[in-house]
Amino acid sequence: MKTYRDITGDGGSQIVAQVVAARQSMTRALAGVRHLVAVGSGKGGVGKSTVTIGLARALAAAGQRVAVLDADLNGPTQAQMAGVRGRPWIPGEDGLELPRTAEGLGVLSMGSVLERSAALRFDTVSQGDEQVWRGTRELTVLGQLLAGVRWGELDLLLLDLPPGAERTLQVAQLLGPRAVFVLVTVPSAVAREVVARSLDALTGNGVAAPPTGRVVGYVENMAGYWCRDCGAVRPLFPAAEAPLPVPLLGSIPFDPALAAACDSGAAPPFDSPAGDALRTAAQRLLAALDSTESTP
Amino acid sequence: MKFLCIACDEPMKLEESTPPADGAGFTATFRCPSCGQGVAMLTNAWETEAVGSLGVKLGNGRESKCPMSSMMATAREAAAGGSMIAAARPAEAVGEGLTWTAGALERLDRIPEMVRPMAREGIERYAKSAGRSVVDEVLLAEARAALPA
Repeated sequence: MKTYRDITGDGGSQIVAQVVAARQSMTRALAGVRHLVAVGSGKGGVGKSTVTIGLARALAAAGQRVAVLDADLNGPTQAQMAGVRGRPWIPGEDGLELPRTAEGLGVLSMGSVLERSAALRFDTVSQGDEQVWRGTRELTVLGQLLAGVRWGELDLLLLDLPPGAERTLQVAQLLGPRAVFVLVTVPSAVAREVVARSLDALTGNGVAAPPTGRVVGYVENMAGYWCRDCGAVRPLFPAAEAPLPVPLLGSIPFDPALAAACDSGAAPPFDSPAGDALRTAAQRLLAALDSTESTP
Repeated sequence: MKFLCIACDEPMKLEESTPPADGAGFTATFRCPSCGQGVAMLTNAWETEAVGSLGVKLGNGRESKCPMSSMMATAREAAAGGSMIAAARPAEAVGEGLTWTAGALERLDRIPEMVRPMAREGIERYAKSAGRSVVDEVLLAEARAALPA
């Protein structure tokens, strides 16, 4: 009797062919993107989105062609942080036109088109059993967004990843080996431990390495509190733990002005220690990317 | 998944598929091209969703009630905020009184299925604010030009 491998094709369902075609269309859509940089953590609340938009603005200010994809479909923040909330998504001749800020930064975020308090919901034939398929569906939608937007020619496409160590790995596998990763942590032992787990998942760490891109470094956010009055940076957390075993791209002190800029969709205050740290991190990221180009 | 006719040792071919109804699964019939023996594959709602969540169109690419294609069907239906995902808000007939040309609908069809209803709604809001009754490619270009380049 014939086995599975003896039979060519799938009898006409074309399910595998459709999945392969979707992957190929993603590759085609990203052909003009030089570097695919995923900003993740595994830990929630460490400032991934703040670091992402801050890096994007610093890179754009340095002359790079940059766009941001808010990969956190359930908790999108980039539309608000970039100031593109409510701006319509325009169907172009060959896919969705990339919405841009007044400064020319491309930003695609579900927050542009979802009501402020609306949850992301899907049509379903298995009402009440979303746990079975929701994670896969969200990854599929993320792939469709990557494939369906006219990204054009970009030096960097930054992805703001959702929280969760397992989600970080899932997105990494969706993106494949051409993506590189920047991890974000805060100087607390608890956060560092979770981020270390994400790093371990992404790098394999001696176990069979998953088919993901490499981690180019990490950013330490909320690295002290900068007082605008006295100019001092005071610790927010106990003495720092041992660093992660990847390059430190930058340490960003907490600055209320940076938080306010993010909330209002304005550019971060680059004339501050936080702004300096973002610029430094952006420069170090570029250097790391240039040292070993991403595989197209 | 493949189906084999044991008697003929021949792979069966997809013959027919029935879009799943709400709360139900998916039905596909396969038939042996040699002896004509048929078999029906019946999936439950979980199995249907599991496959549909990969973004594939069940039923040999035909539109069905599988997750993504139902969104596409909705986007093609007349106006009004029937977004499959926007959730927890009252249906709002944003597109009432607006007509989409075939060319504009074609462009809408080229963007990800998931976001079509939302893109549609945004365009219709723009059209209404601009006092237009027809959404065509000219209006789409106009809306694009109104945004930062």
